[in-house]
Amino acid sequence: MTALVVAALSAREVGRRRVALALVVSLPLWFYLVRRDLEGQSIRMLTLGIGWAVSTLTLFVVNAARGIDPRLRLTGASVLDVIGGRLLALTSGGVALAAGYWALAEADQRLDRPLAAGLMMALTAAIAAPLGSLVAAVLPRELEGALALLSICAVQMLADPAGLAARLMPFWSARELGTYVVDGADSGYLWRALLHAAITWLICAGGTYALFAWRLRLPRYLEP
Amino acid sequence: MSGTPPGLPDPAGDRDGRDGWTGGRDGWTGRFEDELLRLGLQPARARRLAEETAQQAAESATAPDALFGPAHLYARHLLTELNTAAPPAAVPPRATQPGAIQPGAIQPGAIQPGAVRPGAIQPGPVRLRLTGVGKRYRRRTVFSGVDLTVRAGEVTAIVGANGCGKSTLLRICAGLTRPTTGTVHRTRRVGFVPQDGGTAGWLTAGEHFRLFGAAAGLAARRAGSTGEHLAARLAWRPEPGQLAQHLSGGTRQKLNLVLGELHAPDLLLLDEPYQGFDQGTYLDFWKQVLAWRDAGKAVVVVTHLLHDLQHVNHVHDLGAAQ
Repeated sequence: MTALVVAALSAREVGRRRVALALVVSLPLWFYLVRRDLEGQSIRMLTLGIGWAVSTLTLFVVNAARGIDPRLRLTGASVLDVIGGRLLALTSGGVALAAGYWALAEADQRLDRPLAAGLMMALTAAIAAPLGSLVAAVLPRELEGALALLSICAVQMLADPAGLAARLMPFWSARELGTYVVDGADSGYLWRALLHAAITWLICAGGTYALFAWRLRLPRYLEP
Repeated sequence: MSGTPPGLPDPAGDRDGRDGWTGGRDGWTGRFEDELLRLGLQPARARRLAEETAQQAAESATAPDALFGPAHLYARHLLTELNTAAPPAAVPPRATQPGAIQPGAIQPGAIQPGAVRPGAIQPGPVRLRLTGVGKRYRRRTVFSGVDLTVRAGEVTAIVGANGCGKSTLLRICAGLTRPTTGTVHRTRRVGFVPQDGGTAGWLTAGEHFRLFGAAAGLAARRAGSTGEHLAARLAWRPEPGQLAQHLSGGTRQKLNLVLGELHAPDLLLLDEPYQGFDQGTYLDFWKQVLAWRDAGKAVVVVTHLLHDLQHVNHVHDLGAAQ
């Protein structure tokens, strides 16, 4: 229940930052438009743009709540309520953003595997939220966090998908799914992508929870 | 002593077709009793008060909510009244703790430690006890050997030079910072009001009440009405739709104070909470601190204003920065 309230109010908070929200929402569009001449590439870039936008938004939202979280814990909220509620809001927002861009891409292009394309975008958004919160947990300052996310997305974009560096990046599943969606590759790409996405999500969400559980821990003082 | 004889249907419940004014766990009396229990009253006493309140309402043939207002607010009010009405008893002055100074030494007219102020209740059970608490950051010792005991119905001030660790000590009391040495015993329900921050700029006051209420297990409506009730005691009426970032510094601190008290803590930890207050609000603030004290709460306030010390029972001087 508390997690739902945290989620609802986090969403409302983000919704009020209209300029920031407009910039975040439009970010994947620029990725899409600059590669629109290349159909397959534009979908890949759009997906990466969604990942970057959602993770960056999550980073800033989690960092902005640093002052209020310890007070919520003292008042009685659990770490799961606080962190889970915020991740729920940003994952939902990210998936909604992915759905919107999927509809745009579907209307603009004739995708061979439209459902898989939707899955690719939604999955990337779902990974991006805990990735942003994990980076926020590791690097509490916004500038450092934003630069780290920039590096992650740049490496993901530039690295050879078959190489080890790309596989270790959080959005490698999007590259694999991109091959399945755009190039019509076999279902092995799909399953590898799903497995990678699941592992990445577990690492990011679990890491976020572990770090915040440690940071927001309250000592068990005995009653006097 | 119930308003409804056992075995008979509740006439109030029949009258308005709902669960009843007084009967049933979901009725006004049930909510009232639940709130008394939540505020820490013994079950038997809460039950008796609920029954007496129900009987009063029945005798005046008025619905309890019309007579007393919302159950949760009346429970708080009644508890405050009961605590305030407790007869003051003379208690022997306690020895000043090591490191503590007598307020009178600083401000003429300040009360002696351990003295009971007119209208104040007798200090009750210990709510906070620090024994030999120290804090060190790497090689720098911020403070060491702090002993402090705060009882219900007492206000303790922590004073000291800039950088001597007043806020750190308060955060240790709250549990937000770990002491390097020493032990802390503390009551479970604690409210913490930081010096600044602690609110979300893009949320309204009402949304803060909802958020902190949810954390404390309060329903949204109850959290909202409790928050507004507490705000009114600080001469503040939150405007719907006004974001926290658009509040003046003083009003934002009022919001902070309300959030610290929303879940009815037994111990309030206030870190220079009057930043940005005008003269009137500053006086309202201290009136509120004394009301908390008289309601049996323990209050620890970090301050650097020496004229604040006339309001407190104990002063703990952390000294100069080390």
